[in-house]
Amino acid sequence: MTWWDALVRAGAVPAAYVPPASMGRTDVDDGAEPGADLVEGDAVQVYPVTPASAPPACFLDGIEQWKVVGYDGVLPVVRAYVAAAVRRRGEDRRLRTAFEAARDFAIAPLAGMTPERRRALTEHCPDVVEISVEEGTQPGRMLELARRAVDSARQALERKLAEQCLASLGATEWLVVDGLLSVSGKLAGHPRALGVIKSHGAQFFTGTDLERALTVPADHRTSVFRARGGHARNEVYSWYLRLWPWEGNDLLYGLLRIEARANAATISGADATCGWLLAERAPIATPDVRWDRLLYPIHDVETYLRARAPRDLLASRASRLPRTGT
Amino acid sequence: MIARPDPVAIGRVVATELKPSTPHQFHFWTANETAIGIGAIVRVDEGTRDKGEGRVVYGVVTDGFAYSDLATPLHDVIGAEGDPARAAASPTVRQEIRYWTAAVLRQIPEEPLQPVPLGQVFVASDTDVAQALRMDAYLHSATPTAIPIGLYTSGGLEAPVYLDADFLLGPEAAHLNISGVSGLATKTSAVEFLLASVFRHFPAHKGKVAAVCFNVKGPDLCFLDQPGDLSDEDRRRYALLDVPATPFERVRYFAPLKADGVNLNTLRTHPDLVDDVTPLTWGLQEVVDYAEVLLNRDDIDAKADAFIDFLRDRVLSKSFDDGFGNAHQVQTFADLDRLFRSIFDGLELSGRSDTWRTHHIATMRKVRNRLSNISTRCKGLVTDDGPSSDLPWGSFEDRAVYVIDVANVDPLGQDLVFARAVSKLREHLERRDLGVDAVVVFVDELNKYAPGDGPETYVKKMLLDISERGRYLGLVLFSAEQFRSQVHRRVVGNAGTQVFGRMDMDELATPGYQVLSPATKIKLATLPVGELMVRHPHFTQPIFVRFPKPPVLRGRDGMGRFPATVDLPFEDAVARHLVHLDRRIRPNQVKDLIADRTEEDVRRALAAVRQKRPEDVLAYFRKILGGRVASDAPRERRAVPPLNPISDEPY
Repeated sequence: MTWWDALVRAGAVPAAYVPPASMGRTDVDDGAEPGADLVEGDAVQVYPVTPASAPPACFLDGIEQWKVVGYDGVLPVVRAYVAAAVRRRGEDRRLRTAFEAARDFAIAPLAGMTPERRRALTEHCPDVVEISVEEGTQPGRMLELARRAVDSARQALERKLAEQCLASLGATEWLVVDGLLSVSGKLAGHPRALGVIKSHGAQFFTGTDLERALTVPADHRTSVFRARGGHARNEVYSWYLRLWPWEGNDLLYGLLRIEARANAATISGADATCGWLLAERAPIATPDVRWDRLLYPIHDVETYLRARAPRDLLASRASRLPRTGT
Repeated sequence: MIARPDPVAIGRVVATELKPSTPHQFHFWTANETAIGIGAIVRVDEGTRDKGEGRVVYGVVTDGFAYSDLATPLHDVIGAEGDPARAAASPTVRQEIRYWTAAVLRQIPEEPLQPVPLGQVFVASDTDVAQALRMDAYLHSATPTAIPIGLYTSGGLEAPVYLDADFLLGPEAAHLNISGVSGLATKTSAVEFLLASVFRHFPAHKGKVAAVCFNVKGPDLCFLDQPGDLSDEDRRRYALLDVPATPFERVRYFAPLKADGVNLNTLRTHPDLVDDVTPLTWGLQEVVDYAEVLLNRDDIDAKADAFIDFLRDRVLSKSFDDGFGNAHQVQTFADLDRLFRSIFDGLELSGRSDTWRTHHIATMRKVRNRLSNISTRCKGLVTDDGPSSDLPWGSFEDRAVYVIDVANVDPLGQDLVFARAVSKLREHLERRDLGVDAVVVFVDELNKYAPGDGPETYVKKMLLDISERGRYLGLVLFSAEQFRSQVHRRVVGNAGTQVFGRMDMDELATPGYQVLSPATKIKLATLPVGELMVRHPHFTQPIFVRFPKPPVLRGRDGMGRFPATVDLPFEDAVARHLVHLDRRIRPNQVKDLIADRTEEDVRRALAAVRQKRPEDVLAYFRKILGGRVASDAPRERRAVPPLNPISDEPY
């Protein structure tokens, strides 16, 4: 018997709600206003980049999936699954899993639940994350808290794997992380760790610098800058790189933001780094709709993780129309 | 007990709504680097087998697919920016799949029959191969009937594959048909190997077995008693299959004579080998029962047929009065001709009507004409006079091969040889007095002898007869052809075991091969020499096997080592025959003896010696030669003049 079955037996109302945000991942914003200090030149410039052969590399990504499996009154009980993996590219150019970890757990406002259902949950589920809610908190807000808990669990898993991987990284090997490098001090300080950010919710420039940054042509990069605020918890250097021409598409089409160690060597090596990142355009990561910004190895890690995710978690994404009983 | 390491799974069954597992087919994936290929046998374990539960399924790979996560080829072009060289240099290779389709060979338990479970896939071991092909039933029974046909080789495994003698040689099913393109020495080689295997493994409780092989082209079967060149690999395979890597121990060759009546009509005429060839010559007695083979359909009307029956029943080998005061003892074509002349003369002299014993003279003339022509058309095989030389009906030896070389005989003669040999085999097997209990008859070139279309020939009828009724008698047909689709459906359809060598793609496109997957067809079209696809009643799917090179000298190689000699002059050929029968004879003695004799008399005397095989060959030859020459005046073949203005019959 699963823990959610036990919960229903204890009187909870079964549910099968997969919130729209549950499929993807979001990076936690610490609330600080983002900003940038240029460390390469006085104003944002664009530099041409020539594709170069890629060095040995590992690629890290994580996934998260969650859904509401029951309600105790109006209190949602969430089942969540997070997983992360590092896939190492061998000399045969194939990716193989080097590290992986996963966590299947429950998220619930334990304090507000009836004793019987709380007991059913804690007795049958070994891994419960409690979210603290005040009396009268709306269910929608509780779902947002659940999402943050899931994000947090996924990031923790990624951090753990990244640090494991760094410990075994070869002398010339790089670790490419899907997302922020700055979430981990060890990652942010490693000379061959890169963060590749595809979403551009946080903007570090304004005015002309912003225009130059967001209209950087294909096969070009911007000046390197120190990222402040926003996602940055540990100091990192960053720059934009355009993989594909954006004209005729969208301003953010093919645009990546790269994070690397805050070190002078990063500035001097930015062209070389961008060279091999450009080479990672092939093979393209279709059929993923984000293929213009998604490096194929990262896509591969994600595919790997999704293939290993529980089959039943997102099974009921079909029609939510009431059953007719016929 | 030797501990065996746990087998490592090489794949996993996958099933989707679009491509589900069924009781007869399943799909699985493997690593990109795998020993699996088309024709490989695999085992699927449901997973709980170690607890004595769960289903085990054996399958044979029938198709393979590979694809990547590329959504459309255009994406590859985009990724490489139109430069194929860049595509090859991409830092990461796409995820690929090796996806296989397998046909179920066997499920354990067999009932209830269920879809193949989503279990792990293992390479079959030799035990698995025996189980999968249901060979365990006849391999390990109290009276084993297993006959190895080759080695299943896949993934480093070499497991013998056995046919069931009950289904290869009767009585359950029987006959073997082999198809394949010409020139690869596959069909003949396979049959030669299989005969060696049958001779080694034919079950004792089934009695004795022999083979009659018709050599229909070149020197194919002329050197079955000579060792061929075998590699160490071939010898190792022979050892695995427990078949001796030696040529056949008992081979008897039979070939008609050439028109000169003394030189053999075969390519096995090298001085070192020709002594083993027995002339095949038949007289009137042997031929008349097969008159319909030699007479075309227009000849055999009801009247002619009745007259031939009359001759057969009332005249041949009997004392017969022709009604004109002459007694006849008709045993040869010459005797028959004398009878006809006597009748025609009698009718003319007596002035009687043109009917003799209800038979019209025109009918008699036609029959006489056709029968007397037989010895002309089949000269060398059919003799006008003198004794015949035939296969040892009634004293066939166990594990002996009787090769009848008709490669250089005209089609009519070939028809006669097929018809008579097969009929005699059937007669003797029915009476159980052939000397063996089962006979394998090997006939190549079925496209010629039993085509799907074309006229109904006597040979085709004989082959159909063997195919449909032979198994009850122990008369088994091993047949071969290039285009199976163009052979009479009932001949190939009755073959319980079907073997395929390398096939022509056009042939594979015919409807008879629709049951094969495209991959299997491709494999068949590119099969290397020494590999075959086998269908057998116990195997639910075709299986690919590898067989060693036959242990005998191939025809082409044999011609290099033992080239045929040119025809000897008449006197030399006669001397050689007699010297072969008695080594004490000097050729000059023979030449002196026959110097003033007619060739016809010499041939007759020689045939008598061959048949009698006396102690003193030369004395007997002299006696026969002298007696006949002294008593018979030289005969002149006279044309029979017409009696009366004959009716309008066009004969």
